[in-house]
Order: sequence, then structure tokens, then C-alpha cells
Amino acid sequence: MFEKRDEQLIEQALKGHKKAWFALIKRYESAIYQYGVRMTGNPHDAADLMQDIFIAVFRSLTNYRGEGSFKAWLFRIAHFRCIEFYRRKRPDSPLDDNDELSCERPCPEHNLMTDSTSQALTAAMQRLPLAQRAVIELKFFGQFTFDEIADQLGLSSNTVKSRLYSALSKLKLDLEVEHG
Amino acid sequence: MANYESDYLFGQWLDNALTNEEREAFEALCLSDEAFAAQVETATQLSVAAEQFTPPPMPAWDKNATFVAPDKPRWWQWQGLPMMSMAMSALAMVMVVSGFSMQVSEGKLTMGFQQGPSDEQVAALVNQKLNDYQQANQTMFTQYVTALQQQQQENSTQLTQYLLTSSRQERREDFAELIKFINQQRDDDQRYYARQLTQLQREINSLDDGYPAITE
Repeated sequence: MFEKRDEQLIEQALKGHKKAWFALIKRYESAIYQYGVRMTGNPHDAADLMQDIFIAVFRSLTNYRGEGSFKAWLFRIAHFRCIEFYRRKRPDSPLDDNDELSCERPCPEHNLMTDSTSQALTAAMQRLPLAQRAVIELKFFGQFTFDEIADQLGLSSNTVKSRLYSALSKLKLDLEVEHG
Repeated sequence: MANYESDYLFGQWLDNALTNEEREAFEALCLSDEAFAAQVETATQLSVAAEQFTPPPMPAWDKNATFVAPDKPRWWQWQGLPMMSMAMSALAMVMVVSGFSMQVSEGKLTMGFQQGPSDEQVAALVNQKLNDYQQANQTMFTQYVTALQQQQQENSTQLTQYLLTSSRQERREDFAELIKFINQQRDDDQRYYARQLTQLQREINSLDDGYPAITE
């Protein structure tokens, strides 16, 4: 069957059609949940973050102008909600490149993931600063281009690349240690 | 071969936007620069890991909490209402100006825009109305004259009868007077004759005294 476009579902959701909104959620909940898992390193926090993100998306749905893909717009909101999530968790911590906002010890919830590589990758990502983690997430898991990531994060493309290279250097070391 | 910066080539490779020439430069750099090759390898490992990433199962979560049904506007808050009102006003004005007419005849509803009658039609209509008015007046006058004549006739009859009756009475009275007068005259005559007779008798009586034999 033909699937409705995101814009059609949004239009119907704005008119109060719950089914359309749920269809839109179903289309993106897995991606957002995985984003949450990798950004928080915790399935429970990821579930909370996912709900927080979709509440924010629904509230802002009238502001979506159809400029760019809905997915990019969704992940931009997801990024802002993720920053808010960390601010609530650690109000005093700055969220810049030098911030080492990460899990100091492996989270036991990682064991919920069946694949050891996925566990290792999630753990390694938790050791990255949030800003670098966001770039890695959007580049390798979101499959966005540098320009799209720069647009979503409100940064220049060069800054995004710089963060990505720094993150890759750190991840290289971590993944080497994980694999022995 | 053009001299590209390693960061640029790496970025283009990550965006999957390398041209053929850039790809050649990229591959050459991978062979010549170990640090660059290591960075590419890490990125490749990460890409593979991302593709094979197995997330924990999706938890049951409250989707309903994300949906807030918008307030449905009341019918009088409908945005098209002013426009519709204006359209209806304009329609009413057009109907008035253009002479819109609606007729119901034999169960059929006919609506249309009717123009006013022509001068000839107006003249014919006026003539017909005048004729009708004239005929009506004529009929009314005829009836009036007839009624007047009838009333005149009745009055004349009544007057004649009155005159006849009154003259007959007068004649009767005259005759009565005459008869009375005659009767009176007769009475007078009788009285006269009576007196004459009486006088005659007296004379006779007086004569009698002188002529007893005659009186016996």
C-alpha cells in the first residue's frame, strides 16, 4: 500500500487526527529511541528522552514549514531535548567541546543490548563529550551530511568536521581497548 | 593529480561525495599517510558498527501523552464565516440589481434573472388596464342609470297614485258637501214649504171659521 508522506501525516495530526500522529511516531520512534540509547547510554533514560522529544515535536509541529526533511527537523529537536536532558541531570556542567560529560563507569543497562559490539560502541560513545557524541550520532547513525548536521546544530560545517575528527581519534583508542 | 587537503578529502568521503579525481587522491593519501589511513579505518569500523548496531528492544511507552487534541473551533469561529457573509451580501445585491425573480407554478420552482418589460409591453398593458377600467365604469354607469330610472318610475307611480287618491277624496268630499248642501236646501225647502203649508193651514183654518162647511 502507498504510505502517506510525512507532510500529509503532519497536516492530519495538526487537525487532531490521533492515528496520523501515531503513524508518524511509529515511523521514527525506533530511530529516536536508538538515538536516545546512544546519547544517554541508558535504555530507561532513552525511553524518557524519547517521550520528551515527541512531546516537544508535537508542540512545535505548527512551526514545521516543510523546509528540509522532517527527519532533519526531528533530530534538531531531539538534539535540543538531549542537551536539556543533560542540563537537568547536571545543571552545573557546561556542554562544550571540553566537557567530559560521560558515564564514569559502564552502565549495567548496557547488558540489555544483545550484541557485544553494540554494547562496546555505546560504552565508547558515552566517554565522548556530548557535543562530539552528537556529531558522531548524526553522521554515522543518522546518515546526515556535514552541511545538514551543521544546520541542525547551528554550527559551521568546519566546526562539525573538527568535532568529528576529534571524536574519531578518541573512539579509535576506546574501540582498540575494547577489542584488546 | 591535484593537491587536496586531507581533511577535505576525508569530509567528502564521509559525505560519499568524492569525484573520480578526488577518489584517486583519497586512495593515494590512504596509501601514503598512515595517520589518515588509521582515521579512515576508524570511520569505516564505526560505519560498520552503526549498520550492525542492535538496540535494546523498544519499551512500551505512553504515546498518548504526546498527543493533545486541538480545541475544535465553534461554528461561529469558522474563519470562512465573514467571507461567506460578504459573498451572500454581494449575491443579494446582484439579485436586487439584476431583477432576480422566482416563480412557483404547478409544483415547479423557476428562478431566473428577469429584465423589465419593454415600452410596447408597458403601453399594451396600460391600454388593457384602461379598457378594463372603462368597461367597468360603463357597466357601473349602466347599472346606475337603470337603478335611477327604476327609482324614478317608482316615484312617478307613487306620485300618480297619490294624486289619484287625493283627487278622488277631494271629489268625494266635494260631493258630500254638495249633497249636504242639497240636503240642507231640501231641509230649508221643506221647512219653507212646511211653513207655507202651516200658514196655508192657518189661513184655511181662519177661513174655516168663516166657512165651517168647507172645513167639514
